[in-house]
Amino acid sequence: MSIGQDLPHDSSRGHVTGESIFIDDRLEVAGEVFVGVVGSPIASGELLSIDSKAALAHPACLGVYTARDFVGKHWGSIVHDQPFLVETKINYMQEAVCLVVSSGRETLEEIKSLVRLETKSAVGVFSITDAKKAQTIIARAQKPFVQGNADLALKKAPHRLRGVFVCGGQEHFYLESQAAIAYPLENGQLEVHSSSQHPSETQRVVAEALGLPLHHVVCVVKRMGGAFGGKESQGAPIAAYAALAAAKLKRPARIAITKDQDMMLTGKRHPFENEYEVGFDERGKILAFKVLIQSDGGAYADLSSSILERAMFHVDGAYSLENVWIDGVCYRTNNTPHTAFRGFGGPQGNMTIEAVIEEIAQHLKMDASEVRRINLYRDERNLTPYGNRVENNMLPAIYDRLMATSDYQKRYQEIEAENLKRTGRVRGISITATKFGIAFTSRFLNQANALVNLHLDATVQVSTGATEMGQGVNTKIQQIVAHEFGIESTRVQIMPTSTEKNHNTSPTAASSGADINGAAARNAALQIKCRLIALARKKFSGELCTPLAEYELSSIELGQLPVEVDPDFVFEGGDVLQKSTGHKITLKELITIAYQNRISLGAYAFYKTPDLGFDKTKVEGRAFNYFTQGMAVSEVSIDEYTGEMKILRSDILMDLGRPLNPGIDRGQVVGGFVQGAGWVTTENLFYDQERNLISHSPTTYKIPNIQDTPRDLRVDFIENLENDRNVHGSKAVGEPPLLLGTSVWTAVKHALRYRSKGPTVNISSPATGEVILNELTRLKGV
Amino acid sequence: MRDSIVLYLNGKRHELRGEPCFATVSDFLRYEKNLRGTKVVCAEGDCGACTVLVARLTGDSLGPYEPINSCISFVYLADRSHLITVEGLRGSSEALHPAQKAMIECNGAQCGYCTPGFVCSLAGLTDSTKSENKGLSEKRVKNALTGNLCRCTGYEAIIKAGCSIPLDAAPKLSSLYDDSLIARDLRQLSGSVEILSNEQSVFLPETADQAVQYINRYPDTRVISGSTDLGVLSNKGKLKLKRLMNLNALRESYEIKEEPDYWNVGAKASLTRIEKALEKDFSEFSKYLNVFASPQIKNAASLAGNIINASPIADSIPFLRVAESELVLKSIQGERMVNINSFIQGGYKKLDLRPGELLIRIRIPKTSARFKLFKVSIRKDLDISTVTFAARYSISKGVIQTFSLAFGGVGPSVLRMSKLEQMAVGQKLEANLFKAMAKMLKQEITPLSDVRGSADYRHQLCHNLLLKFYDEVARQFEPDAELSI
Repeated sequence: MSIGQDLPHDSSRGHVTGESIFIDDRLEVAGEVFVGVVGSPIASGELLSIDSKAALAHPACLGVYTARDFVGKHWGSIVHDQPFLVETKINYMQEAVCLVVSSGRETLEEIKSLVRLETKSAVGVFSITDAKKAQTIIARAQKPFVQGNADLALKKAPHRLRGVFVCGGQEHFYLESQAAIAYPLENGQLEVHSSSQHPSETQRVVAEALGLPLHHVVCVVKRMGGAFGGKESQGAPIAAYAALAAAKLKRPARIAITKDQDMMLTGKRHPFENEYEVGFDERGKILAFKVLIQSDGGAYADLSSSILERAMFHVDGAYSLENVWIDGVCYRTNNTPHTAFRGFGGPQGNMTIEAVIEEIAQHLKMDASEVRRINLYRDERNLTPYGNRVENNMLPAIYDRLMATSDYQKRYQEIEAENLKRTGRVRGISITATKFGIAFTSRFLNQANALVNLHLDATVQVSTGATEMGQGVNTKIQQIVAHEFGIESTRVQIMPTSTEKNHNTSPTAASSGADINGAAARNAALQIKCRLIALARKKFSGELCTPLAEYELSSIELGQLPVEVDPDFVFEGGDVLQKSTGHKITLKELITIAYQNRISLGAYAFYKTPDLGFDKTKVEGRAFNYFTQGMAVSEVSIDEYTGEMKILRSDILMDLGRPLNPGIDRGQVVGGFVQGAGWVTTENLFYDQERNLISHSPTTYKIPNIQDTPRDLRVDFIENLENDRNVHGSKAVGEPPLLLGTSVWTAVKHALRYRSKGPTVNISSPATGEVILNELTRLKGV
Repeated sequence: MRDSIVLYLNGKRHELRGEPCFATVSDFLRYEKNLRGTKVVCAEGDCGACTVLVARLTGDSLGPYEPINSCISFVYLADRSHLITVEGLRGSSEALHPAQKAMIECNGAQCGYCTPGFVCSLAGLTDSTKSENKGLSEKRVKNALTGNLCRCTGYEAIIKAGCSIPLDAAPKLSSLYDDSLIARDLRQLSGSVEILSNEQSVFLPETADQAVQYINRYPDTRVISGSTDLGVLSNKGKLKLKRLMNLNALRESYEIKEEPDYWNVGAKASLTRIEKALEKDFSEFSKYLNVFASPQIKNAASLAGNIINASPIADSIPFLRVAESELVLKSIQGERMVNINSFIQGGYKKLDLRPGELLIRIRIPKTSARFKLFKVSIRKDLDISTVTFAARYSISKGVIQTFSLAFGGVGPSVLRMSKLEQMAVGQKLEANLFKAMAKMLKQEITPLSDVRGSADYRHQLCHNLLLKFYDEVARQFEPDAELSI
């Protein structure tokens, strides 16, 4: 019933009234203390000493903690290689060196400034080029993805191009900076409230940091003020800092770092430099593609190896490649430990092939949309380089429809004509695609559990491992559960995510939040529903329950998985109806009967995504459950004097299966697109010689503002009722549209073609005004 | 003389003394009053999450409710005003403000962290649009929300929400609480205020004489205007504010007055009001103020602050220099008028401002000459300039009669380009002339490389902006003129 409806975000009322509570909005309790992080003043070298005398002498200072104070010394999502605090070796600028604790919020910065650090600098590695020379490596692909014979096909190809696609990092710029509060409980136990996408990992990291068993730590996440991947792994050490202070002082401890410090301390989207060779024929058909994917992982491993893999999984883009060789390596540098960011390497892979296609088109003097068309995955050629088939492939249909609805051909011709006239502006247009693999590529993460409790007034509380960061996962789960019980979604409350209700949760990441947690919640609801149906059947058939006998349910009726719900019974409008007999009872009444007959009204259920399994060492198996697909056409206009660019129009068409909530999904599509467009245009990370991040606040780091959005934005979904691989036929939406921001960058690349006196357009990402103007100057040969 | 700050917050009166008066407004709201709907993200007025609405006592009543950044404003700057926060938008009723409703209905909120700021900006927009008897166009909504960053939505839903607010159903903000009662109370308070705490003091004079006497007595006084720059420096620990004076209580300093030959702009006139007032005679400058900064900043910031702060990338100074603006400086000796071009002495932040002097008015002479102003920044709106360009020119029969040129962002101060000006005057308006000037320019400027662009980029920009100027002007006379670029 509520599935597919445009219901508002379940927190929207609190958001617009200011009543929604984020970590630092929680009222301070008596004795609460404030924790601050002192960062390293050098990017590479050694910590010689920490002089905390002056800090400790401050009347508000309650402690200065160093690496020695931690029981567990290192943390990490995949490899435990990152120290909570610097022991001796310093590996990046502003790396956390020590913690200070203050009794007051207002004195925290002052106390931090009193700590004196003595350090010794060493030569650092700051670029992929340097890391290549020094051979500092975090991870390599276990085996390249190979299909056909790329070398041979390259040799035979009538046309060849080679180059390096370079893209910069990206700051998450979640508005709520990293934050956590730890409350000490009895017997050394802790309750940690964290702004985290991964409560279970936070629970584990906190426990390890303090040497506690896992059952002594509970992590609770009510919501995050944005996350975008930046709180998948990197929220955990922040929580551990608060936990350490709470454990040491036996007082509640709060940490809420400033935006400036957050931007300097935490990792970003990985910069990549991908070396490629491509062979193609005169129609633009790609005959061979070789690519070495190289990422800057920063100082510690974090999630870098998985991100590298996902880049490799997405470098084919939406295009079927017959002869292909894809390899990858992630380098260790002295930059911030780079981490998950919406797309998780996918954008950097996907954008590479879109850039290459733009170059093929320029080389052949063709319209790039035609090159894309003839290389598109189609049913007769749908095998990816890693063995997954592109099933239920909507790409050709999306292409045809978007080309028509965006009026691409006509506008392309207009642009060609217009660019011949000299107006001081030059325009470009481009269509790009996203074909995003849905599933964690680590199979074990594709599991979820849920707890559903039905109350006597026919309202429901649902707990899952999903965390709400604005994406609307709670609303979707609310809809899924409300649908099963045939009630208004407002009668379903999604409870704060807590590791005491849901164990071993997976991060809310990989766009899978609603997929796996929604499916688990549905399974739990189905179990209760199964019991209620059995009960209703007894009641309707006249069976009596008396003080001596109560309704008894068999184990199947109690809802053992897999649950089969009798379709004769319909839950609708707060009633339960048996179609064959016409018997009807209100849900509330039925619940009361269940309670009085000692039938459980709560259920816990589990879900795992079926059929997954990918062997990296052999490159075989099923990496993804399905693909979310879409395309965008963007048109840009460039000021030839200044290099300033504006997006005139973007048309987006997405395949989201049967969207669970079209309004929320549209918000994800537009939000992802604009975030992607920001990454490839204005979002520039700028470091000085010493590797201080200079763009550490919105004054200097420019995410899109309201005037940067396309002047004309048209978003639509293509109908796809065929996806049977996900809950209610829906498709995941969080990350895939971000990749479409690329269309803005390729449109810039297209525009610049018209001002070239010969050279191939060669720009890096982000295409800032400076990058564009420099390239214009180079292309014109002045 | 009063020793307390009196302000109203969501209809309730608050009187504060000493230390708490020096808190930022956002800290006061969040930690003194536990109104935690107002969020602080950047603490530098650049993201708008902390936006609240403020109506100041102007004359006998409260002025319009305007959005400001509460994170870089201080409690003492809110003296004799009424603040409405996101929690107060419902007034005494339970019914949501139409801006709040629209944001829910259009999915304008995702994570919710920026939402209170957007809601306040939208409520302010609703009010101002109603009072100007206009409709809510997409353009108007976007302009009103330039100072609010959202990382989740991509703004589409927020724009839709803004456009869908039913103006007729929206209560005036002044009707949410009893504004006439508030105004009556605030009116009775004496204007001049002095607040002392252990480390800081602030003086709010009611007359210009009091002001200059005070800075004469205390030469270390720092005059704080809208605090859009000093507030940032203070928040980021780069500056400890000690002895302060602010002209909020000085009624005459808000004046913007047209005289026969010039415009008089008072030291406290907000950029928002200047943008509107000067539209008639300086439309190019008005248009330029549109991308100068966010509404929140423009509601607080003043021209005087921009001039005295004297940043080489101050956005108003290139215009003021080519416009030959005169600055009225007051001291206990009297008033002195000085041309901005001699006031700015070259060298980083070097000004002809004598001890005890206070900038109280700016005079912008009317002219028949035309202006052209360019601002290049990484992002078009809500950004600090990479390079700014200002030219004032008159052309008759194809010959350049007068030509004034200034660049910002390419030297220790905003530069007047006298050599290039001399090259141009008396010459024909021709591409070759400007190409020669563009070449010459290289020796005249000394840009740095920084976060906003490399020195080479700035050189290229200045070069190209000169050509852009020529092309745009030439095409006014001859629409098909060959471009110089």
